[in-house]
Amino acid sequence: MPAMNSFSDHVKHIWLRLGSMSLAIILLVVLSIASVIGTVLLQNQQQADYLQQFGPLWYWTFRALGLFDMYHSWWFLTLLGFLMVSLAACLWRNVPRMLKEMKGRRAHLPERVMRRFRLHRQWQCADPEQERQRFKSALRGWEFSESEEGTTTSIRADKGRYNKWGYILVHAALLIILIGGWVSVQFGFRGDMIVPEGSSENEISFLKGTSREYMKMPFEVRCNSFTIDFFPTGAPKEFRSNLTIIDHGKEVLTKDIIVNEPLYYKGVRIYQASFGDGGSTIRFKLFHLDDFQQVEQVTTHVYDTWKDEKTGVSIEVTDFKPFNVENMAEPGKPKDFRDLGPAVEYIVRGPGLKPVKVKAFMNPFVDANGVNQGSFLMISLTGDAKDYKPFALGIDLSNAKEWQLLHAFLQHLSRNKAKDKKQRNLQAFRAALHDVYGDTPPKNIQQIAMRTLHAATTLPRLPWPYLPMLEDYDQVYYTGLQLARDPGMNIVWFGSALLVFGMCIMFYMPHRKLWLVLKRENNTTVAHLLGMSNRNEMAFAKTFNDVFINVSSAFAEHKDPTTKEKI
Amino acid sequence: MTAITADASWLNTLHQGRVAFVRFCAYLGLIAGVSAMAAFGVEYDNAFLLRLLSAQGALWAGTGALAGLAAGVVLGALRPRLQESRIVLNTVPWLDGFLLMILLAMLWSRFEPAASAINYEDQSNLFSGRVIMAMNVIFIFSAVSYIAYLFAPESFIGRIATLSAYAGMYAGGSALLLRWYESYLLDVEIGHAPVSNLYEVFILLFVITTAVYLALERRYQAKAMGAFVMTLVSAGVFFGIWLDSIGQGDIKPLVPALQSYWMKIHVPMNFVGYGSFAVACGAGMAYLFRHRLEQKGSQSRLLKIFPTLEQLDQLAYKAVAIGFPAFTLATILGAAWAAEAWGGYWSWDPKETWALIVWLVYGAYLHARISHGWHGKALAWWAVAGFLVTVFCFLGVNMYLSGLHSYGRLS
Ligand code: HEM
Repeated sequence: MPAMNSFSDHVKHIWLRLGSMSLAIILLVVLSIASVIGTVLLQNQQQADYLQQFGPLWYWTFRALGLFDMYHSWWFLTLLGFLMVSLAACLWRNVPRMLKEMKGRRAHLPERVMRRFRLHRQWQCADPEQERQRFKSALRGWEFSESEEGTTTSIRADKGRYNKWGYILVHAALLIILIGGWVSVQFGFRGDMIVPEGSSENEISFLKGTSREYMKMPFEVRCNSFTIDFFPTGAPKEFRSNLTIIDHGKEVLTKDIIVNEPLYYKGVRIYQASFGDGGSTIRFKLFHLDDFQQVEQVTTHVYDTWKDEKTGVSIEVTDFKPFNVENMAEPGKPKDFRDLGPAVEYIVRGPGLKPVKVKAFMNPFVDANGVNQGSFLMISLTGDAKDYKPFALGIDLSNAKEWQLLHAFLQHLSRNKAKDKKQRNLQAFRAALHDVYGDTPPKNIQQIAMRTLHAATTLPRLPWPYLPMLEDYDQVYYTGLQLARDPGMNIVWFGSALLVFGMCIMFYMPHRKLWLVLKRENNTTVAHLLGMSNRNEMAFAKTFNDVFINVSSAFAEHKDPTTKEKI
Repeated sequence: MTAITADASWLNTLHQGRVAFVRFCAYLGLIAGVSAMAAFGVEYDNAFLLRLLSAQGALWAGTGALAGLAAGVVLGALRPRLQESRIVLNTVPWLDGFLLMILLAMLWSRFEPAASAINYEDQSNLFSGRVIMAMNVIFIFSAVSYIAYLFAPESFIGRIATLSAYAGMYAGGSALLLRWYESYLLDVEIGHAPVSNLYEVFILLFVITTAVYLALERRYQAKAMGAFVMTLVSAGVFFGIWLDSIGQGDIKPLVPALQSYWMKIHVPMNFVGYGSFAVACGAGMAYLFRHRLEQKGSQSRLLKIFPTLEQLDQLAYKAVAIGFPAFTLATILGAAWAAEAWGGYWSWDPKETWALIVWLVYGAYLHARISHGWHGKALAWWAVAGFLVTVFCFLGVNMYLSGLHSYGRLS
């Protein structure tokens, strides 16, 4: 510990400490441990969810520590700041020394240093000049320097002398990348934009801390169309938006974007991120359940609420999907995905009614044998999509005749006086059949009878005054875009290139040094071969041996040319 | 200089001098031809492999290879010293191995069932399944042989162990290539490179781990380490068998987010990192094992064939020195992909963050090696612990944490 008596000594001491390797190791380990937290604790969720999950005490503790947006919390940024300072300090401390080392290549080795070498061979030689020639020819491509000191001649060979540049590049690159990241965060932005087909939008929204903020773009984006393409298996294959950029009222460019292929305009990149319903037009047929005569047509839109003035019962349409691929296999059987066709989701509310979420399919359910099983709904009493239960209506409501048949059946039934229930049903159905189809009943009359009977018992059980079924639709998607500007990106790429390049030098171009020291004593000469590598000593030990075999006269005499190895 | 290099001298001549150099140039030409085709010859789309296997591909690749060959002959004659370049000598065996995998895959493709018998719903009749099963058996056999070699260090057991490791590696690599081809047989639209789900990248991991290990074994005679590395691989094999048994082994179409050429670069590069870290872990375990034996004053025959503590330490470093730059590059490529696809090179997604954690852990390992006070045993533990972190990054994140990389999830 140096004596510290002035302020500048203190500063210097701290500066040196900041650039020390032990601090680097500690920083790296602390950073990695800190990073774990943010992967375990889901980031940037709804505050209400956190509150529910952790309870008030932990919620406020975590919130105070910034753990819900941890990677932007003051303490995490401070850690990164420390890393930057530390990198700067270690560069400051080491670069001048390294530059000097790379330049100076003193060939002479003091005796005391020689003793410390782990790779060291010595032998007697008769003609030192030969040794020297062989040394040079064995090490083609190496750099040599020589010095004479008294009776000692030293020849030094270097390879990968610039290895230390690896260190400099790598650490400078890290600093550059961190600076680039800082520039990105300071001067860039990134947000979501939702554009329904046919509309345009110029505002993005993004999360900042715990609240959502908005920002105007210098141009407008219009979505002309949005399309989804499917694999033969039914999985989505491609999401494609056709966009037009409108700048100051002028259409400047129209282009398709897909995931992985964004659009670039005025420094802003526009990405395909999500999609959803953009307010499709929905035409319902309301089948009145209290008065079976009446069928009413209603036109509304997704996200709108339609209210029946007479009964006060309303339908809020929440979503529409033209394809609904569902696994139709029984539990435990291999999966069997099938498209059940268009479906609309809505919530029914009304006086004295429990709000219920419904998914109504336009087409009847046709089973694997091609048999029409009638229309059906999915009903969730809790309003959660997880709790959807299928509800078979019996008749096929997309077929007006079946509805008439049900109606006629119920009428005949109420008039029929037969004692036996079975008899009564049969007679009423025959009469209804004749009313609706005349003398040419449909072929699958058996099934229709069953289904009508089913409908006659289930439909009156529904608590609503009417049953909204999807009649027709005009689909409009919205495309979910992400807009981002990132001025730090190029700095980061530059740093990354330096990083990889530096690493290649650092790891794969070790600085290897060999010395041939010839010491003349009286009339004999002792040759010393010494070697050192700052990396990968195992490989270098082999190289060293090869050089020894090639150079030493003891071996050179009866050397087999085929054993000559590359260096 | 050793027995091993001596008795394979005909192999050596193949890997040296003019022959190697000209071959190297031909490979380069071939790669250039294929790349040129990717860049200029076809509109980029997922049916690239099929194009490559058509007459068009043969033309581009063949022209490239011939041009490379010619350039090699001329260059070799003009500048004989180029023929001794280390880069050439070090890369040629890898390229040879890759070519062999391709040839094997072509051979396997002869055994595919008729087109009418191939369907998406039931993929069990595809031939790659059988090759993968063979790979599983071979890898387990190899691990057992390496362990047997520890207890009975006869050279023929060691040779069997090494040979079976090679066989497993070629089976795995060719099975993956075959799977690529099969994905097109299922449906041209489904076809994609076999690096898109957990099962496929597992096989890739085995192949790369074994390759890195074998490269080290060949250069440093570190056979005893194989017991540890191949045991790790075998553990992975059992996991892979389990994945297959729960239906995760099927070829599935690519979700839109993965339809990018970046995937073909980013994922394999990552696995070079993971595989090398696995080898480093094996070296670390071997170190700890030997350390334990030495402490107990064991006179086991084992110690004679075992690399010394210092060599093991170096081997672990060597493996990290391969893995760390590769992993760095892979992370950067991932960032580049994210920048292109999502608008930001870094979004602190759990997978990204764990990649950073892995990187920091190995970064710290490298620093700890240089700075004073850290010695072999602690570093060996570090190499083992680092691999546990890597495994979590690879598996744990997919299984327990959510995020943008959730395609790797079990579904
Ligand atoms: C993100 C952080 C860092 C990374 C990824 C990193 C990477 C590396 C790598 C890969 C090496 C070479 C290790 C080897 O020889 O095998 C190295 C060496 C070194 N690093 Fe760092 N480093 C980082 C931060 C730092 C910091 C903050 C400092 C200083 C406080 C530092 C100081 C050093 C020193 C002194 C060396 C030894 C150079 C030599 O003599 O060869 N590093 N670093």
